[in-house]
Amino acid sequence: MKIPFSWLKEHCPIEKTPQEVADDLVRLGHEVEGIETPRAGVKGVRVGHIVEMKPHPDADKLKLLKIDLGDVEHLSIVCGASNMKAGDKVPVATVGTSLPNGLKIKKGKIRGEVSFGMCCSEAELGLAEDADGLLILPKDAPVGEEVGEYLELEEAVLDLDITPNRGDCMSLRGIARDLAADYALPLIEPGDEVVATDDSVAAPTVAIAASEDCPLYTACKIEGVKVSASPEWLQARLIAAGLRPINGVVDVINYTMLDLGQPMHAFDADTLDGNITVRTAKAGETFTSLEGKNVSLHDEDLVIADDKHVIALAGIMGSEPTGVTDKTSNIILESAAFRPARISITRRTCGLVSDSSMRFERGVDPAMIAVAMDQVAQMIVSLFGGQVSAITVVGDTDSLIKDTQIQVNMQRIESRLGIEVPKTADAVLERMGFGIEHDGDTLNFSVPSHRPDVRLAEDISEEYARVIGFDNIPAMMPTLTTIQPSKVDTGITDAVRLGFVQVINYAFISKAEQRLFVAEDDKDLVLPNPISEAMSVMRRSMFPSLLNTAKYNMNRQQTGVALVEQGRIYTGPLDEHTETNMLAWLITGDVQPDTWYAKSRKADFFDLKGAIESWLQGRGLTARFMADDGVLGLQAGQTAKIFIGKSVAGYIGKVDGDLADGFDLSDDVFVASINLDVLHTGKKAKFQPIPEFPSIERDLVFLFDKGVTSDAILQTVRKACGQQFVDASIFDLYDGQGVPEGKVSLGIRFVLQDAKRTLTQEDSDKVMQAVIDAVATKFKAELRG
Amino acid sequence: MSEIDSLKAQLQDLQDKALALFADAADLKALQALRVAYLGKKGELTSVLKGVGKLPPQDRPVIGQFVNATKSVLAEALDKAESLLASKEKEARIDAERIDVTLSGRTSETGALHPVQQGLHEMTAIFAQMGFAMAEGPEIEDEFHNFDALNIPAEHPARANHDTFFFDIEGTADTKLLRTHTSPVQIRAMQACVDAGGEPPLAVVAAGRVYRCDYDVTHSPMFHQVEVFKVDKDVSLAHLKGVLQHFLSAYFEKDVPIRLRPHYFPFTEPSAEVDIGCVFCNHKGCRICKGSGWIEVLGSGMIHPNVLKAVGIDSSIYSGFAFGLGVERLVMLKHGIPDLRLFFENDVRFLRRMGA
Repeated sequence: MKIPFSWLKEHCPIEKTPQEVADDLVRLGHEVEGIETPRAGVKGVRVGHIVEMKPHPDADKLKLLKIDLGDVEHLSIVCGASNMKAGDKVPVATVGTSLPNGLKIKKGKIRGEVSFGMCCSEAELGLAEDADGLLILPKDAPVGEEVGEYLELEEAVLDLDITPNRGDCMSLRGIARDLAADYALPLIEPGDEVVATDDSVAAPTVAIAASEDCPLYTACKIEGVKVSASPEWLQARLIAAGLRPINGVVDVINYTMLDLGQPMHAFDADTLDGNITVRTAKAGETFTSLEGKNVSLHDEDLVIADDKHVIALAGIMGSEPTGVTDKTSNIILESAAFRPARISITRRTCGLVSDSSMRFERGVDPAMIAVAMDQVAQMIVSLFGGQVSAITVVGDTDSLIKDTQIQVNMQRIESRLGIEVPKTADAVLERMGFGIEHDGDTLNFSVPSHRPDVRLAEDISEEYARVIGFDNIPAMMPTLTTIQPSKVDTGITDAVRLGFVQVINYAFISKAEQRLFVAEDDKDLVLPNPISEAMSVMRRSMFPSLLNTAKYNMNRQQTGVALVEQGRIYTGPLDEHTETNMLAWLITGDVQPDTWYAKSRKADFFDLKGAIESWLQGRGLTARFMADDGVLGLQAGQTAKIFIGKSVAGYIGKVDGDLADGFDLSDDVFVASINLDVLHTGKKAKFQPIPEFPSIERDLVFLFDKGVTSDAILQTVRKACGQQFVDASIFDLYDGQGVPEGKVSLGIRFVLQDAKRTLTQEDSDKVMQAVIDAVATKFKAELRG
Repeated sequence: MSEIDSLKAQLQDLQDKALALFADAADLKALQALRVAYLGKKGELTSVLKGVGKLPPQDRPVIGQFVNATKSVLAEALDKAESLLASKEKEARIDAERIDVTLSGRTSETGALHPVQQGLHEMTAIFAQMGFAMAEGPEIEDEFHNFDALNIPAEHPARANHDTFFFDIEGTADTKLLRTHTSPVQIRAMQACVDAGGEPPLAVVAAGRVYRCDYDVTHSPMFHQVEVFKVDKDVSLAHLKGVLQHFLSAYFEKDVPIRLRPHYFPFTEPSAEVDIGCVFCNHKGCRICKGSGWIEVLGSGMIHPNVLKAVGIDSSIYSGFAFGLGVERLVMLKHGIPDLRLFFENDVRFLRRMGA
């Protein structure tokens, strides 16, 4: 809502500056988006008096003007307009002026005649969209004065963001009412003159067939109107308030809507067929809006209709064929009340928004229906002529505009605010139109018709908070609520400590990317109205977004990335969908840069596996990795399922080479995902005494067949070691020269210990022999040299 | 020359020669050889001593004394030369082991926590310390929890501000959508409490991803919110102010002035937008705060009685406050990050710079 400052002052004699008023509006709950001076750009345009006008000797359509600007010498100007005459006063842009349309005025020569400026039209001053001829100023305009000052063009316009509950503030009068109450100034009432009616003009006949949605409808007819453009002061105000002038009648209606808050509508009476009915739409009915849009109506939509057609979507927009144009001579004016929720639903289902619907949705003061009708009818008659019929009123005005009584406990309001309400607040609320009566702890509160948003004790507490000022409410700490301490999840922090950079990706990806890792089925959750195809389906795999992030970074001077993301994956069907918390990892390219102590190295499977093992260890968990050749998108032979106990906690593997190529990733890419929801917390560490007796280390090197897994070997040797086993690990792996084809040499280091004594060489020999026997039996593996 | 004088001269000669050799010894090993050569069992001094037996008995003690004196002179000289050489050799070793201490250390690659995650951790930690319990909810919500229960019925104009991603046609309570705010967790937490037969006090903080169908320089279709609410007897606007003041000062690590402006949200009454004194100009007015000295950071208010009613909490007994804040916005303000899009581009150069 744009509030031209001079207009505001017509409703309330404010003496503060626009900035001060803006600050006060913020305190009262109206957000000020800015203070604009939209037409400040006409500095240097002055009131000029045409003292002489002669034809241009060399051009038929040009005139040579001598202009008096009140300076010593008269100015010579060549002018192409034809609507002026000697003696007129016109706006003159002097040399050096920049006009709102960007034109910079310079001294020039037109067909041999020198011109020291330009006479301006309304369009050139930014006052109208277009104009024929110069703007002729009133005779008493002071010569030489800045036109901007004379026409009050440089006034401030406050741009307010009115909250949805304050329909009453979608008007100059509404904003002025809040300010007048705050400043203890009078709110200037609109004129109570009733328009002169003429019985020779038949009043429109109106029937309401949907009285719940339309409790009051008033209409009158004006005959013999000569519709022309509205006067420039009115156009200028509309433009300042952000509306486009259309024609005289429409402009007067819009002006009154901004002024008083009541949206009205005018029909061209000669286009109507029969009487007016307010009813719900019939199935299959259509409607062509003023904007030329064809709309199919729903059977709940509230419409205004004549005997044959829908002529308006109630409270939203009129129909194109029945609109008022320059050729209209007989009009019907509508001023009515419509139920906000109805307007809101129809506005949405039909996809039409208007200044009218924005007001009706938020609530319009029914007390203005008659006042606005009078103001519009009077303005039309005085500007464009015509005779006005009697006003048809269907519905009960009195019941609509009567105050609502609320009784509440004052203590409840004070306990909600945390402050004792000062007496001064009552006076402010009374000036806003509320009625206040204290009876002990009981507050009898009456709410005027322009505040339908105030219905509950809590609403009243807000009104008090507003006028007391939030600044005057103290800050206090509430008592602590005793609660179960929540354990902070350190999963992502632990991953980051392992050298991974955390990324956060959108939860939606493209359908094609979804298919890279999840086979087609009916469990995708698809957004019907996505931002783009690339964000059209809820991800069921974390990998596509990670690959995109890797691609983004590898294209930007990175030689390797290690990424981790914590987020959810989403699986249908919609009515019983699941959201699973995941931790997903990606590593590709150099695992470290070249340094003075080491050469760079490309990431492989075991870099990522090691990170995951460390991460799990940090949570007291150990995983088993089982080769799995059947994971979509991951390369057979370098992919494993991650088991924790008996449940599958995730996958790790190398991204299929062609798939990685598709993301411009030339190095091997390894990814892993862990389902955080299946991870139980590991066992709490339990105390064990430090062993009293020393451990011994023994190494054995075997030749195994290729394909035997270290997991299987270590399980076997562990069993063979018996009670004295502490640890066994692969310390050497070799299949080069000297190792027969199809074999691999594995070095295993054992740590043995006994709880009750120091182990002897003999003891460990016995254990090693058991290991050798077990390995020979199980794997046909031999000790190596 | 008497026998004894000749022996004396011989000893003197030996001592002179030995001392010269000791002084010239190149290293500890050479010195050790000299020690053996002179003082060893088969050393020179021993062989001189053997000659003592030929002397007349009365002369033996005299020459014995002389031999012992020589021996201790030599031993002392050897010790001295030895420690000198030892310290020289240590010096040489230290010289040889000299390194360039300015070379980079052996580091392992460090990771980085996403700045939004840091913000989430910092914020939730502050609320946890104030006694708020953590809660979570689904991101794919239904209309009831996201709108209806929060006093935003279908025809409410405020719905238009939410730019909702619907999965289905809008208008029924169980129509699925991507939650547009974390406020539905408020509803779920209160429902859970009531369903379990419990009653307030309730103090909850919920954080997570939220979605709006809006994508431009200052809007991301996905972002993060933190939702905080407390329901108890006699909870007031003053308590809301107290918690906000503490939280904002703790998060920004300085005493920031705050300002509450009356506003409108369907789910709170009264409602307030909260500004902090501009952190860029210290409340003086700059380009970023458009000269006002204030920056809007979050929306807040006293929970609307219709919201409590929707979950079955009696609003004549209990009241509560609630607020929700945009995590990205606060992180941008705290760290001077100029562009929202940086958070989701995930450029590792940005993430590493911001990462703790």
